[in-house]
Amino acid sequence: MSQARLRSLATPYLFIAPGVILFAVAILYPIAQAVQISLFDWKIIASATSDFLGIANYVRAFQDDQFWLSLANSGIYMLFTVPPQIILGLVIASLLKRKSPAQPVFRVLFYLPVVTSWVVVSLLFKYLFADAGLLNFTLGDILHLTNGDTSWLANRWTALIAICALGIWKGIGWSMMIFLAALQGVPQALEEAATMDGANRWQRFRAVTVPAIWPALLFVTVMLVIGGFNVFTSVLLMTNGGPGGQTEVVLTYMYQQAFTFLDFGYGSALAVILAVIVFVLSVVQLRVFRDRSGQDLA
Amino acid sequence: MKRSAQLGTIAALAASIALVASGCSSAPATDGTADNPVTITFWGAYGNGGNSTQQDALNKTLIPEFEKENPGIKVTYVDVPYDDLLQKLTTSAAGDELPDLVRADLGWVPQFADLGVLTPLSDTMSDFADLSKATYPGSLATNLYKGKYYGLPLDTNTRVYITSKAALTAAGMTKPPATFDEFIAMAKALHGTGITAFADGGLGAWNISPWIWSGGGAITDDKLTTAMGYLDSPKSVAAVQMLVDLYKSGDIPNLITGNAGATSTSDGLPKGVYGGILDGPWMQGVWSGQYADFKPIYAPVPAGAGGSVSVVGGEDIVLTASSKHQQAAEKFIRFTQTDQFQLEMVKTGQMTVMPALADQETKVADFYSTFAGQLKTAKSRLAIPGASKVDTILSTELTPAFNGTVSVKDALSKAASQIDELLKGGK
Repeated sequence: MSQARLRSLATPYLFIAPGVILFAVAILYPIAQAVQISLFDWKIIASATSDFLGIANYVRAFQDDQFWLSLANSGIYMLFTVPPQIILGLVIASLLKRKSPAQPVFRVLFYLPVVTSWVVVSLLFKYLFADAGLLNFTLGDILHLTNGDTSWLANRWTALIAICALGIWKGIGWSMMIFLAALQGVPQALEEAATMDGANRWQRFRAVTVPAIWPALLFVTVMLVIGGFNVFTSVLLMTNGGPGGQTEVVLTYMYQQAFTFLDFGYGSALAVILAVIVFVLSVVQLRVFRDRSGQDLA
Repeated sequence: MKRSAQLGTIAALAASIALVASGCSSAPATDGTADNPVTITFWGAYGNGGNSTQQDALNKTLIPEFEKENPGIKVTYVDVPYDDLLQKLTTSAAGDELPDLVRADLGWVPQFADLGVLTPLSDTMSDFADLSKATYPGSLATNLYKGKYYGLPLDTNTRVYITSKAALTAAGMTKPPATFDEFIAMAKALHGTGITAFADGGLGAWNISPWIWSGGGAITDDKLTTAMGYLDSPKSVAAVQMLVDLYKSGDIPNLITGNAGATSTSDGLPKGVYGGILDGPWMQGVWSGQYADFKPIYAPVPAGAGGSVSVVGGEDIVLTASSKHQQAAEKFIRFTQTDQFQLEMVKTGQMTVMPALADQETKVADFYSTFAGQLKTAKSRLAIPGASKVDTILSTELTPAFNGTVSVKDALSKAASQIDELLKGGK
């Protein structure tokens, strides 16, 4: 092969090489390390020998009630936060679709929570939902709907409501932005044709808008599901997994095992299990969200 | 490269190799001299919360004094925020980059001794027996792991019963409750006053041990081999049952069972929401800043069948096995056990680990006397590597007992069997 031909063949690979190397070093290598650590009773001191356990850490996880509870909580959080973020994000994007002077203001207001620090808003929501917090004050003293003394963070389900409320509030702006962009790409001609054929708003939405924004819907769903299972900071700061471990999620449980109890082998096993679950779910979603013409979007 | 440049490069390389080789000659691992001082690094969290008085005492008074007395040794104190210190120690241990000395939380000493990164001072310091006799037994016990002592107490604290004039008046009492019976009577007397009798922030060892020990019970046997039969002994069960009964009658709020949204004890007592709490000497500084008008009333933990016994807190000073200046570091450890060091730190709010200095401590601030008295009988929590797991086990098993779904005896037995696993070295 001539020099020039070699160079032209190699050029694309050279361009993507830095990104691939960064990905391999910063993402793939730690994952491989985590899998390796999970097969041992990992000792952090370099000179100590770590006992090889094989899949014992995984067996232990599957027999651990607290693990199943934390997995259930992660799943519940995902199920309660993903649909509202998609639906509300889409609704708000539809409302903000039309160019008006107010549009940029509302766009910023809805997107602002997305850029706030998880730590700050977790503490804020903790105070909101505290026994003597703003929510109880509003419900009790102002609206007289309750006694005003609901201990939101004292029970598993009410605490999960508080944590999910934070997750939804923080994420709506993100999905709204994606849908706003996608909605710009809906063919106007099709909309007008549908209106002329007598389709009402809902029928137009179902037949024209949704297929047109299908790739964006898939993207948002996959990302939100991954993010939902990865909930960590808000749980750690609002309840720290309490009361009595009832609101523990997989990542807070993993953090406790690895960094408080120094059981890195078991913590890594939990992390790998979560990664596998999220990966499988993502692949399933990509299959299910096949393009209407039958082609995979993956 | 031009020939002259090449020669220059070779010369530079040769010079640097010679320098490195001379530096790598085996340096003696003993202390330096006044001309060649060794530097020891000391990590701690004295500067916690932005309070610089402790750090200043160390850097401006104590370390210069030590360096004057020991011209061959320089001490560098490195302040690490408390919340980061354990992480930093863990990663440093993994990376073999530990400092010479650490001001370690009590619970970390067995953990790091188990990792093999600490020097057993009872073996290496010839005067260890004398030094250890001068400290509170409960504080010293926190350094014991598998028959050896891996540190010496540096500063200590404990929990005592704290109440307010408002609460005592509302309950029709003139003095804080001195016994379990008076404690229960105070709770009954506070019904309907809007003040909840007693609040605590959890059900871990720090929270529940004072009650179990004062009730005459125990967590484990003396040799730390078994919890079954001790944690669920009749006296332990009775002490916890007392708290459960008070919880059921609304005299203890659900803060104790982990309600993260409940008013904290540090806010609740001065605000008149709670009638009594167990807490430590640091609260004096916290309240004088936030609730300047509040005058706390300190008293020993109410006494049960076992007397008034509380739990020891504080920090120990430990020497890492990887330190290249073992002798020099041990000299500094001895310095921390002198009257001068202890009293200087007392002035900044750190309680001394020496019973002999308790009187002078009280002269610095009156309220220390209650704590010093409590320290005479205070016990240490389990000095095992899995100590933090013990807290999780206790909270997880005792919460259903407080909620009434499980009997106290069953909850404590279940906790005991899990603690036995830890004591055997399992996970």
